[in-house]
Amino acid sequence: MEPSSLRYDGKFMLTRRGQEPSLASLTWLFTRVGNTTFGGGYASIAALQRELVEREGWITHDDFALAFSLGRITPGTNIVAFCAATGWRILGMPGAVGAVLGETLPSAALAVLITQGYESGRSSAVAMAALGATAAAVVGMMWAAVWMLTRPYLGRSAVELRRVVRAMAFAGGAFVAAWKFGVTPVPILAAAAIAGLLWKEPEPKEETET
Amino acid sequence: MNFFLLYLLLVKATLTSFSGLASLPMIRNDFVVTRHVLTDRQLNTAVVAGQTGPGPVGLYIVSVGYFVSGVPGAAAALLAVITPAFLVIPMMRWFGARASSPRVRGAIRGVLLSGAGLLLSASMPLARDAVTGALPVAIVAVSFVVLSFTRVQSVWVMLAAAAVGLAAKLMG
Repeated sequence: MEPSSLRYDGKFMLTRRGQEPSLASLTWLFTRVGNTTFGGGYASIAALQRELVEREGWITHDDFALAFSLGRITPGTNIVAFCAATGWRILGMPGAVGAVLGETLPSAALAVLITQGYESGRSSAVAMAALGATAAAVVGMMWAAVWMLTRPYLGRSAVELRRVVRAMAFAGGAFVAAWKFGVTPVPILAAAAIAGLLWKEPEPKEETET
Repeated sequence: MNFFLLYLLLVKATLTSFSGLASLPMIRNDFVVTRHVLTDRQLNTAVVAGQTGPGPVGLYIVSVGYFVSGVPGAAAALLAVITPAFLVIPMMRWFGARASSPRVRGAIRGVLLSGAGLLLSASMPLARDAVTGALPVAIVAVSFVVLSFTRVQSVWVMLAAAAVGLAAKLMG
């Protein structure tokens, strides 16, 4: 079964899909997800991918891909740009502001409190045990995100096989470059954009009409 | 330090960097070396605070702002973290209008897929640190399965993991 987020309706990224959430529920989602995810930007993006695309269906897989790509090349903290991009896609400028503030404000307040905590020299072994366990859960979550990001490309038919090969070449190539050769993300993503431009994605039959 | 000047110095650092800690050299140069309003030890504490808390690592700048001028400094720093993000919106407009082209779409999906590879790579050092015994292995496996195949919200998985870690610690 193909996830609905992959279906190409000929109005790709020009119209918003599904139900529009209220500004409050949008802001609350970014607050909830952005401030309960430890482990940096990728972990937050993994959690947001799951909530925005898979659970709520507020944006399509392709919208997510665009926001992810452009967030990476926007100066500053990528995840904040990603939130601005997805918030904007869903509810325009108010959505962008809500998403960005929801994502950053509680964490920023907490960063101040943690700074004060470190300054007064308090650190608790019990708190560290809880944090260590969430780090393990983050690893599971990141792997779940890898699975969900690649799953739409894992088809079974003959046409799909070429998509699978293409998808694995991109994901596997990036993994090997980053993990084995220590290449930094920006050149990898730039290479992927150029390769994606030149190596056309094989389209399944029912998705070719525009 | 004056709110506006602090904001400008921090925004200079965020606008010229492309990932969480890439702004660090410029921050150090402006605040530690040139203006002497921050010590190296405080900068280190700020980075650790940014990594201990939830949310983006780039928020360590908020901690820097706090060291320099207290809570107003932290507010100026948060603004500096947020400002560059809005540059993404004109880009979304531009690319979104051209995204029906199969080539542009191929490029975007290529970036997304290589992002999945990067994500896997980023999880490796974390896995090495976090997975230290049978309990963390179980937490990794359970959270992977629950998050991949159910609609449970991520926050519950994180809280459950924290509770399990806490319980294991308290029971010895």
